Amino acid sequence: MKISAIFLLFLLIVSACSPGLTTQPEAYVDLKDLQPLPTPSQDEVPLRVAVAAVISPKGTVESYSALMDYLSEKTGRPVELVQRRTYLEVNDLVERGEVDLAFVCTSAYISGQSQFGMQLLVAPQVNNETVYHSYLIVPADSLAKDMADLKGKVFAFTDPISLTGRAYPTYLVKQLGSTPEAFFGRTFFTYSHDEAIYAVANHLADGAAVDSLVYDFALSRDPSLAEKTQIIHTSPAFGIPPVVVGPDVRPQVAAELQTLLLEMSDNPNGQAALKSVGINRFVLIDDSAYESVRSLLGDVTLPGLP
Amino acid sequence: MMLPVVVRRFLGRVWDVISAVSVRAKILGLALGLVLVLGAGITVQVRDSLAAIMQEQLDDESTTTARDLAARTTDLILLNDLVNLQKLLLETQANNPDVRYAFVLDAEGQVLAHTFGSGFPLGLLESNTVRPDDHHNTVVLQTDDGLIWDTAVPIFNGRAGIARIGLSDARLRQSIQVVTGQIALTVALVLALGVLVATTLTWVLTRPILELVRVTRAVSNGDFSVRVKRWADDEIGDLADAFNDMTAELARTDEIRSEREQLRRQLLERVIATQEDERKRIARELHDSTSQNLTSLMVGIKTMSATCKDPVMQSEADKLRNVAAQTLDEIHNISMRLRPRVLDDIGLSAALEKLVSEWQARYKTPIDLLLQCGPQRMPAEIETAIYRIVQEALTNIARHASARAVSVLVEERNGHLLTVVEDDGRGFDSAGKTGDGHLGLVGMRERAELLDGRLTIESSPESGTSIYVEIPLKGAVS
Repeated sequence: MKISAIFLLFLLIVSACSPGLTTQPEAYVDLKDLQPLPTPSQDEVPLRVAVAAVISPKGTVESYSALMDYLSEKTGRPVELVQRRTYLEVNDLVERGEVDLAFVCTSAYISGQSQFGMQLLVAPQVNNETVYHSYLIVPADSLAKDMADLKGKVFAFTDPISLTGRAYPTYLVKQLGSTPEAFFGRTFFTYSHDEAIYAVANHLADGAAVDSLVYDFALSRDPSLAEKTQIIHTSPAFGIPPVVVGPDVRPQVAAELQTLLLEMSDNPNGQAALKSVGINRFVLIDDSAYESVRSLLGDVTLPGLP
Repeated sequence: MMLPVVVRRFLGRVWDVISAVSVRAKILGLALGLVLVLGAGITVQVRDSLAAIMQEQLDDESTTTARDLAARTTDLILLNDLVNLQKLLLETQANNPDVRYAFVLDAEGQVLAHTFGSGFPLGLLESNTVRPDDHHNTVVLQTDDGLIWDTAVPIFNGRAGIARIGLSDARLRQSIQVVTGQIALTVALVLALGVLVATTLTWVLTRPILELVRVTRAVSNGDFSVRVKRWADDEIGDLADAFNDMTAELARTDEIRSEREQLRRQLLERVIATQEDERKRIARELHDSTSQNLTSLMVGIKTMSATCKDPVMQSEADKLRNVAAQTLDEIHNISMRLRPRVLDDIGLSAALEKLVSEWQARYKTPIDLLLQCGPQRMPAEIETAIYRIVQEALTNIARHASARAVSVLVEERNGHLLTVVEDDGRGFDSAGKTGDGHLGLVGMRERAELLDGRLTIESSPESGTSIYVEIPLKGAVS
């Protein structure tokens, strides 16, 4: 009786002496008080610009933010950079008119042009040319000299409908009388070219085919990539990935955007923005520039491509 | 070292309490007190340390989880993959039981995905902010679910938005409670053990002490035969030995003392008996021989006076006869005081009546004598003792008391002979004068005690004196 009283006293002392948790909260929040989230008020209709996932989402933001800022400054509208994982998803956005402007891949243009009438607006000029290539790259320490040496190896594709990242290496394998599924030991998609370079540089893949513009640009930013990868094959020149608009865009708007992009190189801010994307200027381009690609794509069958 | 008065007073109070309780309570209190203080100290210490460590861990975990989440959400936000974004948040929550919630804001501060289901606690939005160049920012929030470590981490330097994650301290609290409970349980067990040990210790310690107390009481009542058992070979065992030695020594001393007392008593009895015998002999001598001679002398002088015709000679003869008569009276008185014949021949009552009447006659002070002891004779030594005590008392009254009235009571009651001598005289301080200074009183007391009786004196200045003597008759009435 007496002892239990003493023990109670002990418990009392223990609970009184020790506050236990000494941290003082900074604010009170009622987590049970759930309310509907406020819908964002859209004061101005933004200019929505899609950029196909040629490079990784973060890389895209880093490269294109100066360009977006320039467009915003010139149009007086907020600019929203829209990215999707695959080229086809961006094509869908263009088809539905959910974006005003899109930087797409060459093969995606050919597909969109034939499927729903995607329109060429301008094309970037890099090194004073409007062409690019597909580089077949392998790790720097690889003994492979051409595609035939990559038989049975692990190969990284970029996007399922990428010209340089999938269609061209598929074409090369087909020249060897095989299919990628039979020829390579294993294949996987990286969904962007810079990550395909990363995969090769870090021996995740024994080889990959990448956009020459992306590779050169990545090399200029990170010269150590040259020590980790080597180019064993360069494709013929292809029409450069263009800037496009949807089939239903108003001609006046398209003309305005075209002028704005073409005049960028005349403006110091524009030049800086162009430099951060790695291009000299925007130029007008004709659909005929993409004929060689059309014929190449006619030789390979890729899902989602005509 | 001088302690402040307050401290000394407090310590005094504490000592009052401690000294008032039994040894059992002291030992129990000591054991339980130590266990409790130690238990409480350890519990508080462990609990605080544990809480501090676990809070730090929670803080780290919050930061790590939020940083990890921010890194994994970047592409999903940039690609507008909200379905997978929410899946990621829900998986993060499912995989970490501490995560109370997680949500992601876009660069404009709009909630892209969260784990709250339908609706969102809007108060949470403002509760934590982070700048794009910050590593992270953690705040502790008080919520209806307890404390939450809320960490905000900028995603892609804030360009993709902010990841927020809230870690609850519920498991932390639970762990601390479990540990505290376990320690408390341990303390309770140790406490029970402490009670057991302390009780046993108390029994071991107090059993010989209580035994010592019992034996000490027996010794103080005069029983020197008792001995303490030596329970253990320790200090208390030594005490028991010392006590037994002391008791044995006391027993020996007591024996010697009672032998000496016995001797003294026998000696005193013999002295008194001899004194009485001597007085009796002298009194008889005076009565039988000297008085007879004086009577013969008086008869001779009277005869001489009758035969002589010379008036001068007759006158001288008469004078001589008067001198002889006076001398006879005096001898009679001396004989009487030495040892009244009536005491031997008739008894105490008659002797006292004679003593009182002579005393009254001599000192002219009235004495109220009350005798209630029957006509039968009592043992001679008792009669003598009572007679001598009353005689001494009356002598003292005559010498010192200046009394106006005296009463003497001799009464047989319940097998005892009670004698009371009272006067209304000057009195004295009885507390101070019973010692050796008044040999008369000492002699009276010794006479009573030789007969296993008791003599008490009640007196105080100016209020008279009462002497009570009580002597057992032991059925010795003859």
